[in-house]
Amino acid sequence: MTGGIRARIFATASKRHKENQMVRGRGLVILTFAAVVTFACGGGGGGGTASKGTIKIGSDLPVCTTGGQSTANGIKFAVDQKNAAGGVNGYTISYQSFDDCRQAAYSADAGVENVQTMLGDTKFLGMIGPYNSAVAKAEIPVAAPQHFVMISPSNTGVCLTKESPPPQAPCTYHAADLRNGNANNYWRVVTTDDFQGPAMADYFYKTLNIHSVGILDDSTVFGVGISGSFEVEFKKLGGTTKHSEYQKATTSDWKSILLNFKNAGALGVYVGGTDDQNICIPRKQMKDLGWDVPFGGGDGIETTDCIDQASGNELGVSATSAGADATQVPGAKSTIDAFRKQFTGANDFGGYTMQAYDAANALMAAIGRAINDANGSTPTREQVRAEMAKTKGFVGVIGTYDFDANGDTSLKIVSIYSVQSVSDPAQSTGVCGKAQAKLCFVWKTQFDFAKA
Amino acid sequence: MVDFGFYIICGAAVVLLATQAVSNPTAFVQITVFGLADGAMYALVALGYTMVYGIIELINFAHGDVFTLGGYISAAILGFFAINEGSFTAVNLIAIVLVFPVVMLIMGGINITIERVAYRPLRNAPRLAPLITAIGMSFVLEGIMFLWHGPATVHFPDILPHGPQFQTTIGGVFVTFKDGFVMVTAVVLVTLLAIFINRTKLGKAMRATAQDRDAAQLMGININRTIAATFFIGALLAGAGGMIWGLYFNNLFYNLGFRTGLVAFTSAVFGGIGNIPGAAIGGVLIGLIAAYSDSYIGSKWTEVVIFGILIGVLVLRPTGLLGMRVPEK
Repeated sequence: MTGGIRARIFATASKRHKENQMVRGRGLVILTFAAVVTFACGGGGGGGTASKGTIKIGSDLPVCTTGGQSTANGIKFAVDQKNAAGGVNGYTISYQSFDDCRQAAYSADAGVENVQTMLGDTKFLGMIGPYNSAVAKAEIPVAAPQHFVMISPSNTGVCLTKESPPPQAPCTYHAADLRNGNANNYWRVVTTDDFQGPAMADYFYKTLNIHSVGILDDSTVFGVGISGSFEVEFKKLGGTTKHSEYQKATTSDWKSILLNFKNAGALGVYVGGTDDQNICIPRKQMKDLGWDVPFGGGDGIETTDCIDQASGNELGVSATSAGADATQVPGAKSTIDAFRKQFTGANDFGGYTMQAYDAANALMAAIGRAINDANGSTPTREQVRAEMAKTKGFVGVIGTYDFDANGDTSLKIVSIYSVQSVSDPAQSTGVCGKAQAKLCFVWKTQFDFAKA
Repeated sequence: MVDFGFYIICGAAVVLLATQAVSNPTAFVQITVFGLADGAMYALVALGYTMVYGIIELINFAHGDVFTLGGYISAAILGFFAINEGSFTAVNLIAIVLVFPVVMLIMGGINITIERVAYRPLRNAPRLAPLITAIGMSFVLEGIMFLWHGPATVHFPDILPHGPQFQTTIGGVFVTFKDGFVMVTAVVLVTLLAIFINRTKLGKAMRATAQDRDAAQLMGININRTIAATFFIGALLAGAGGMIWGLYFNNLFYNLGFRTGLVAFTSAVFGGIGNIPGAAIGGVLIGLIAAYSDSYIGSKWTEVVIFGILIGVLVLRPTGLLGMRVPEK
């Protein structure tokens, strides 16, 4: 009767949620919607001597959020450094930040408008962004015919660059269609969501030495896919699994399912799903059952709501996140310290600031080579795109990047975060609980699938 | 003839469960404990459906949301007490004892208002009309809860005794204080209801109204007041059910009532809609069936099993387990 309508509401909400969490500025994203204003303005940098002129690069980020603003800061920092060192082959780089927020949240329509503004000014030779995968999906078809370089610091949606490998759900749109016959103009410096399931499988099997797990999925496209990719990897390693699923609309008590896992000899639980499907309530019920084993999932549980749902049993919840945590990269420390001297605000540094810094430097390096191709004069967008595609062994602070023909990075790093009690939540790189404000996701380790 | 098929299916189910019980008795009893606790809560909600149906033949779709709202309101009131979630204190006990009746009365008042606004004006309209307003009220209540706390899960304070000292293992079966609390409270409430319906004047008036409204009116029974009382009592149980649910699971969300309401309504039909003991037994059975199905068949099949059994019961025994209370005309 009303089931149809509600099923649709559930489906829409779940889809929206998935898009939201493809990217997550880790830092203090909880404050995201509270902080409204903030404004990154362009204004290139000072510095260069006897400049041949100005080349503009833009960014398209949700700067109304702390995640978006801290990412824009990374670009500004890279551009300021470059101009202070004399610019790029005699050109001064001018950076302009565009905001794709509408009503305090990212909007694909706003992103497309921003890209069109940049395309309308011939001085723009490339952009950093977008922040959210759903925005990239809308922008690539607009930018590709103009050979306009886009480098995202944070998109993890698989289908932007390649097909989604089984057992994950097939892509509902395709990378080739987005580019519509044009040469690839889109790159990203973080890896893709399809490595999340395998990363937690490795963490359980190799690091925690757990060889038998119960797997629970929430019957959504995302949940079934990520738990399936976990299961494939875990079995490949030699582990045994027991798989169950539930639907939010019909399940409130998971204890029978959990007991079944326990009786089957499981020593850990992996959940494929998102907090809006109540995926972390089973964590609380494990305690009601007196069953204390590790609990892991994808970035859909690296959230404040998940910590709240697990109420009373928060410790021991682990989650994956596609991408490296810059604060854990030894070589990044000096750059981060220099950044903090220029940007002193508490929220100025975020989970994707250093990724944006690397992306901006990779773009400026390609522009520099394109200037040489144009015999020292201003290159065309196609020349910049062609040079970006040739990027090999680019040394950034996160690591050394190669890019494949699809635009994906060779750095396939997935980070693992676990809930721990921290003394100062403001210093945490992961999100914290609302009721339990001192229980936060803390970086544990990372897996590099390029080496695997 | 028809009942023969019904008994065959019941017998087969019992045999299948018995084989599981023999092969792993500990797990079987453990699952039964979970099922009884869940079923006790479904029973409290199912009673409201069955009472309203019995008296005015309306499927009150808003009832599940009255139950959820009871949970939301009790969480809000508990916020005024200096409760302690870490361990059980005297304040917790006082808070629980005080908030239970308060929430029940508030929900009773809300449900009387709903009846007055959305159902009474349509009492003589075609039966579809109040059904539609019931669905409308359901959306209104969910909308209120959505605006109040948003779409995320709402935490309900964990103030019942819990932790290692409040759980025990009997022959390998793990039983917590909460499990016992839920079952005992439900049994007490259902017993009070039964006494009320069978022993008091108002209960007699409700039974008379359910049997024949016009004749009851001729006998001097105030129909409007009797129907309002039915809604009031149904909501008392739903309000208590919402609070018990919160105390047990410590989680609520705004559209919980849709799901719980559907299961509770199924329980009422299962037991024989309009039949008060039937609804209580139906609720407990549905809780047990869901728990057994989750463990023995697979959670993806649980809904199929529950509603398959419902279809089977309706086809083979249309009056439900204990028989439907239909107006004799």
